[in-house]
Amino acid sequence: MSISTQATGLATRAAEATPSAARRPGPPARPARRRRFSPTPYLFLAPGILLFAVTILYPMVQAFQMSFFDWKIVGSATSEFLGLDNYARALGDEQFWLASGNTVVYIVATVIPQIALGLIVALLLHKRSPVQPLYRVLYYLPVVTSWVVVSLLFRFLFADEGLINFTLGDLLHVTSGDTSWLADRWTGLAAICALGIWKGIGWSMMIFLAALQGVPQSLLEAATMDGANRWQRFRAVTLPAIRAALGFVTVMLVIGGFNVFISVYLMTGGGPAGRTDVLLTYMYRQAFEFLDLGYGSAVSVLLTLAIFVLSVIQLRVFRDRSGEVLS
Amino acid sequence: MKRSTRLGSAAAIAAAVAIAVAGCSAGEPAGTEDDPITLTFWGSYGNGGNSAQQEVLNETLIPSFEASHPGIQVEYVDVPYDDLLQKLTTSAAGDALPDLVRADLGWVPRFADLGVLVPLSQAMDDFQEFADATYPGVLATNLYDGEYYGLPLDTNTRVLITNQAALDAAGMDAPPATFEEFEAMAGALEGTGITAFADGGLGAWNIMPWIWSGGGDIASEDLSTSTGVLNSDENIATIQMLVDLYQAGQISTGITGNSGATSTSEGLPGGQYASILDGPWMNGIWESDFPDFAPIYSPVPAGPGGSVSVVGGEDIVLTASSKHQEAALEFIRFTQSEEFQLALVPTGQLTVIQELGPKQVELVPYYSVFTDQLETAKNRLAITGGAEVDGILNTELTPAFEGTVSVEEALTRAAEQIDAVLAKG
Repeated sequence: MSISTQATGLATRAAEATPSAARRPGPPARPARRRRFSPTPYLFLAPGILLFAVTILYPMVQAFQMSFFDWKIVGSATSEFLGLDNYARALGDEQFWLASGNTVVYIVATVIPQIALGLIVALLLHKRSPVQPLYRVLYYLPVVTSWVVVSLLFRFLFADEGLINFTLGDLLHVTSGDTSWLADRWTGLAAICALGIWKGIGWSMMIFLAALQGVPQSLLEAATMDGANRWQRFRAVTLPAIRAALGFVTVMLVIGGFNVFISVYLMTGGGPAGRTDVLLTYMYRQAFEFLDLGYGSAVSVLLTLAIFVLSVIQLRVFRDRSGEVLS
Repeated sequence: MKRSTRLGSAAAIAAAVAIAVAGCSAGEPAGTEDDPITLTFWGSYGNGGNSAQQEVLNETLIPSFEASHPGIQVEYVDVPYDDLLQKLTTSAAGDALPDLVRADLGWVPRFADLGVLVPLSQAMDDFQEFADATYPGVLATNLYDGEYYGLPLDTNTRVLITNQAALDAAGMDAPPATFEEFEAMAGALEGTGITAFADGGLGAWNIMPWIWSGGGDIASEDLSTSTGVLNSDENIATIQMLVDLYQAGQISTGITGNSGATSTSEGLPGGQYASILDGPWMNGIWESDFPDFAPIYSPVPAGPGGSVSVVGGEDIVLTASSKHQEAALEFIRFTQSEEFQLALVPTGQLTVIQELGPKQVELVPYYSVFTDQLETAKNRLAITGGAEVDGILNTELTPAFEGTVSVEEALTRAAEQIDAVLAKG
């Protein structure tokens, strides 16, 4: 490593260190902070917090409560308290584990390609060119298109007599063209994942494009002067600089993967015989079709727990290496 | 606990009825011409953009009722079918139900169990009179825990619908009338590229016509057990027949939940499928989408149990929270009249009054097969867990069709789980 790079690196580090260094001495001016209570900030916060409390917090607490009961939907009927029975039932329920397995498959199979492809597209579009805005829009279009519309579209594409079979069979002669994609667990999940990836690339691309703007040009130039090739520059400069964005995208995509619902519900309905069920379609069926609201709530509480634990782990992983908290 | 809840709700209903009936003589606002009361009526007559039924209801039937019942106004609110169950469920939870609901017949036990419906067999002195006029299979959809919670409003059933081109290809001059002829048609169609039969699933609506016609049933008559009934020899033979046809490629994969299979409504007129089981509404769909297609209607192929189909349709129910019980009962009586029943026939609704069958066929000739089929058509399990039973049948029978488990094993496993649903009520 040359002197210039080191110097720049040190300067960056020094700049990073400044705010915390300033904080540390902490002048003993505490009494000045203890001003009179002012309601103004709270009043400004109130509408948002109220909305959050009514539409998110309250239903969450209620679902948590319901998960301990054989919950009756009509207020006048008595709901039987079951303790942890609903949870025990879920943990011993084959279909629950199958749905969990499918959810994990979906996450693994969609998050990684979305990040990789999103990043590649972002790198390609990062270079200034007159057609860049057009491509940016084209890649972002699936993101803003309704899930319902594209789910139905993909269902037709993957139908027995759909375009995918026609392309693979009659055009390319790769398969016999009579694959019943949506009639089997793995091919069904493949179709659902294909939709998830296609629809998600644009979103991660957008985040990465923004993050790439923040990669210090001076560092890239310095690396070039040092003779680093394109791949080395990407690995040693670009990638560390967008680590925060990478972490953010990963966490959000994993949460999004846990919440996959519309595409499964519309493309296979969890079928055949529940083999493509994911956690949310299983929960939906239990709660809203069978009116087993207690069990449905228990499943969603377990889902929330899984998301929470995984998110904490991910945030840890990304924070530990970069030394900064993700926004 | 469950039992006591049920008893509790029964007592609550009885009290509600008592108060309502007593109330109407004492202080229920009767409504006058100057100050009319308004009944709210929810339904999904307009489902699928069907404006004809709504028009008849709003422009002919309701005005006629209001003219003969001064002081009562009826406000019909159309809710899309797919949203209605959820809307009813949330409204039941929030105590915001309308006075009257046109409920899918599968929902009646569910809402009766929630205690939000008035048992008409208690609330109406003349209930038996109306009940006797309807088809028994259709009336049975209102029965829950010994009481009738509604009266049939309109009905439908599934019959065999065949494509003439397929019959020609199979060298048959009439649709298959028996299980044997059905199997023979499938055999004759081998190699023609035409699939003998198609359906969209293995739920009770799909599979019960075969089971009943095969001489079997899904549960004992007192709804106490499914084991020993669903896995009977008759049912094993019936399902085995379907499984053999499926494995020979003569039944479309849509039946085992392949959502990518060509739908029955497209595949039959398109010539891919030779036959399907479906209801009277298909005619309207084909008239607009496949004007050249001439469907052939015939009874469900008869097996050892005869030709027995499944009852569908809607019931009219009165909510316990309605403040105008007597007026609402008047409207329910009106729905059972010849005027009401026959006015909706040309719009695609089959009458529930047995006696009106011939008149209905005069109005719409192709209803004759449906009208005859209704004479013997049966109701699915009148329990709150109907949707769960459908789920169980689909989950357990699919592997049997795919050949990974035997039919007997599949039926036995399904029966065990249905036993558990029955035990819940």
